[in-house]
Amino acid sequence: MSTLTLISDPQTATALLPEFTLIVGIALLILIPNLGKGTFRLPIPNTNIRIPYLFGGERFAFTSSPRIPGVISVFTLLFSTALALWSQMEEPLSDSNVWCIATTGEAFNSCAGMIEPSLLKIDGFSRLLEIVFYGALMLCGVAMWSRMPATPRFMIHAQVLAGRREDERIAKLLDNRRQVDFHILLLMVALGMSVVVLANDLFVLFIGLELASLSSYVLVAFMKENDEAPEAGMKYFIVGSVASAVGLYGISLLYLWNGNLQISELASSWQAMDSIDPLALAGLAFIVVTIGFKVSAAPFHLAAPDAYSGASSPVAGVLATASKAMGFVVLLRVLVSITMPESGEAFWVPVVGLLAAVTMTWGNFGALSSESPKRMLAYSSVAHAGYLLAAVAALGLNTSREGDHVVAELIVAAMLFHLTVLVLFKLGSFLVLSMLESEGRGSKLEDLYGLAKREPLIATALFIFMLSLAGVPPLSGFLSKLLLVSGIVDATVHNSMTFDDGVIAAIRSLHWVFLLALFVFLNSALSLFYYLRVGWVMFFEDPPTRKRLVYAPFLRITLMLCMVGTLAFGIGPLADHLLTLVSNAAETFFG
Amino acid sequence: MFGNPLTILTLGPILAGFAFMLVAWAAPPSKRKEISQYIRLLIFAFSLLLLSLSTLMFLESYSGISWTSLALNEYVYDNCANAEIAIEAGGCSLVDGFGVSWHVGVDGLSFPMVWLTTLLIPISMLVEWNAKKGAQFHSLILMMEGALIGVFVSLDLFVFYTFWELTLIPMFFLILLWGGENRKYAAQKFFIYTFTASVLMLLGILVMYYFTRVPVWDGNLTGRAFDITLMASSSNTLGSAFLGGFGMQKAVFLLLLVGFAAKMPSVPVHTWLPDAHVQAPTAGSMLLAGVMLKMGAYGFLRIAVELLPGAMVHYQLLLIVLGMISLVYGAMVCLGQTNLKRMVAYSSVSHMGLIFIGIATMQPLGIAGAIFMMLAHGIISPYLFAVCGAFKHHYHTLEIGSMRGIAKFSPWLGGHMMAAWMGSLGLPLMAGFVAEVAIMIAFWMAFGWWVILPALTLIITAAYYLWSMQRTIFEGGDEGQLPDSLHGDEPVDVSWHENAGMFILAVFAIVLGVLPFIFFDMMSSYSNEFVTEVLLDVLNEVMP
Repeated sequence: MSTLTLISDPQTATALLPEFTLIVGIALLILIPNLGKGTFRLPIPNTNIRIPYLFGGERFAFTSSPRIPGVISVFTLLFSTALALWSQMEEPLSDSNVWCIATTGEAFNSCAGMIEPSLLKIDGFSRLLEIVFYGALMLCGVAMWSRMPATPRFMIHAQVLAGRREDERIAKLLDNRRQVDFHILLLMVALGMSVVVLANDLFVLFIGLELASLSSYVLVAFMKENDEAPEAGMKYFIVGSVASAVGLYGISLLYLWNGNLQISELASSWQAMDSIDPLALAGLAFIVVTIGFKVSAAPFHLAAPDAYSGASSPVAGVLATASKAMGFVVLLRVLVSITMPESGEAFWVPVVGLLAAVTMTWGNFGALSSESPKRMLAYSSVAHAGYLLAAVAALGLNTSREGDHVVAELIVAAMLFHLTVLVLFKLGSFLVLSMLESEGRGSKLEDLYGLAKREPLIATALFIFMLSLAGVPPLSGFLSKLLLVSGIVDATVHNSMTFDDGVIAAIRSLHWVFLLALFVFLNSALSLFYYLRVGWVMFFEDPPTRKRLVYAPFLRITLMLCMVGTLAFGIGPLADHLLTLVSNAAETFFG
Repeated sequence: MFGNPLTILTLGPILAGFAFMLVAWAAPPSKRKEISQYIRLLIFAFSLLLLSLSTLMFLESYSGISWTSLALNEYVYDNCANAEIAIEAGGCSLVDGFGVSWHVGVDGLSFPMVWLTTLLIPISMLVEWNAKKGAQFHSLILMMEGALIGVFVSLDLFVFYTFWELTLIPMFFLILLWGGENRKYAAQKFFIYTFTASVLMLLGILVMYYFTRVPVWDGNLTGRAFDITLMASSSNTLGSAFLGGFGMQKAVFLLLLVGFAAKMPSVPVHTWLPDAHVQAPTAGSMLLAGVMLKMGAYGFLRIAVELLPGAMVHYQLLLIVLGMISLVYGAMVCLGQTNLKRMVAYSSVSHMGLIFIGIATMQPLGIAGAIFMMLAHGIISPYLFAVCGAFKHHYHTLEIGSMRGIAKFSPWLGGHMMAAWMGSLGLPLMAGFVAEVAIMIAFWMAFGWWVILPALTLIITAAYYLWSMQRTIFEGGDEGQLPDSLHGDEPVDVSWHENAGMFILAVFAIVLGVLPFIFFDMMSSYSNEFVTEVLLDVLNEVMP
């Protein structure tokens, strides 16, 4: 019954339009490449009447083209992004734009006064994150258009089977199959991530998490012609599934404690506790381990560098951006929505603060000492997780001041801004590496030598991405760090602070979380060294070859768009628009 | 928003430089040489246009605008006057969300620097007219002009810092692609030093940003702004708006001091300068010494001193000591140099020490003298480097002992060397003298007979200049001595374009020495205003 309502209820259908688009996209990916000259013989004896039913058989040239699956998935994601963005265009803050989906599948406006438990909640916060996810996956999809031919092994097999012309056709078909597999998984990741961010119930959230994770394990191992990929996929799978199992155990403990996994119910039970129940605490701790793995926070990050360097670059980029954003959503849901006290400091601040400090330092030192650009980016992604964790720690202080803007909203807005622009410059740099990978390079720093002499524009783009990662003004990476530190400072610095007894005494009078702001700054300064090293080798070393990179027009256009976005979201009107969007989203997160 | 002449002066050259660079890059190889020559002419014409624009602005002081009656925090050509209201109305904001605005304006402190920049750019192009890959070389210089002017005119710390970093890039490439044998090392050292220093400066700026409350306007997420005028109104009087009070001011002041001192440069963070100068191409050296060093002094005055006057008063002695060490140490090291360009570079360190001393006297005359020193040194030191460049170009050496009696072979070069060297050692009726005298008088007013210390150092200055000049262009008897690096070739005199560039510099060095008031008036009105409106209040408040 409920499944039917999900589709037939017009309100539900409108509310979940972007997600339904994804499902339609998956269906199209399964259907379209299978269209062919298939016929069906009527089961009448002694006749040979065949009725064409366009399914199976010899495929049409159009449907077996290797380009088709990529086009379908990218356009599906584009369409979903547009729908999600469109829903936030007018009155993003009004209740009429918030939907809750109940267990019956019915959609309720504004979620206020709902008696039945709701499974999904659609608001500005979740929509913005969906845009982030879809954007990241879209970039990955575009990058995969011009890569991934079927493996040579299959080609040899096909040559034995058929003549020369057949050979080409079969190769194309195999390419097409491989693309279909990849892009279905990509859309699955998108769907899983959407479910995570929409979930209003920990169990639904876990289902989404698993859908996204399992698909991404396969994506990591997907480039099987590369020796490292299966190994990386295996590692990522084992560590990831252990982490998921631990998280599931945590969720079951929470269920044991509360008898209900609704986030709002969990929150009110948590508020009602006099002292913290060990059962609930253990459950929470286990969930945090899962999240730690997802956002690659130290010490749960150890699989990340291997996974990133083994996976093909666009996939690694997705892990570093969309997957991390998903992890932070879960973190916010669990730590802020459930366990935040009415007033005063949350109990987890010391833990998260310590994790933040360790994560950013470890990440930066790891990046400093890694020779492969992909490992370097992986470690830099660990460092960025540390910066975001520092903001979460400041969020836990629960500061509120009379006559001041809402600190918590500023912090969440800063995190969202960071996660959004990260897609542009983090994934952008992975896309550049992807171009190098297509010619069999990209795993060593030497491969970047003299890139500026081969491809000045692309080298400039990579240089700008690096500067933005390091946080150099006026790029968007600087703006996001500025906002994060603003949040930390606002949460800790009070108006009566005085430096008259010296700086040390003044800092000691503040909450220790303030030190995290200094840590962010010092770590950013440290990170400059390895980011600038990339720029240095690109411009001032001699290239191994003078040949230009692969001709992939759409990828090049996408790269240029990423570069322009990195600049435009740092300063100017676009930055203002994005700031409005994220601050609205942050407001709905708390509202 | 973009109709302001200062905006044109800032963004015009950057965009034009990019455009010329692209055209030069995209030109077909067969016609590259021809196109490159046209581009060089166009760039030169463009820079002359900018020079005439800034000169027109200057001439307005005699008709429209009275530069000499500017109060503190009042700027000419201000596109965002009364920032609190203007930003809220959206007239000049770049990003409302965290308070960045496109706010430009000039006053008695920054206008001379803007004019100096527009003057030096065409001259440095002229001196190195025949640089290889000329189109790229000159478009880099043009881009640099925009970034430099951006530093001097922006009244928003975010934009200021952006331009500050942006100046590094063209200079870095100028050294790296057109420099001497050891250019990679020099470019790296230059970049690491100045970048590290500016990261510290950024920390100072961010602390100022975080700890200053400005009136929150709609859409400002952080409740703060980078606007200098807004910051000044809240921190000048050590008001409560600046969280952390006086102790915080001191901490920020020290951070900014490191950032600016490394750029100026002052001992002990000066060691990048000689290397960068020796390796840089002539035009690069001219701009480095003429304008980039002034960025440090300008930023120090504009941000550290103007916004944190209390800390300035507190650290007066530190500044005097730093300035004295730079002055004496720089001069002593000059005495021991055997390389002309290295000697000139160290003399810059010495002169920058004098600027520190002038500011630290906290007398109106001293500060005005320091600003005039910035202008005078900005004209004379490019002259010095142009002479060095001519030596390098025509004699292929810069070793002082290796050639003698050059005046016989190259009379023009000898004449220019004499004029430049005399100007720099502070010959009366030349620009440097005015500045030195102003600073010395202010020093005497502030510290009495201690003035003997800096005054005696000027003797060392005279000594190393005269000595090096005597050994290079005189001496050597009737035949003189040509350097081995010439390999027996016939010595030649300076070429016409070098001659023209150097001649213009000489004219301005003398004009500003004879008629200093054309710039000194606006400088002293600025410093008078600053001292009476700000420093005296602070003095009464901090040190009762």
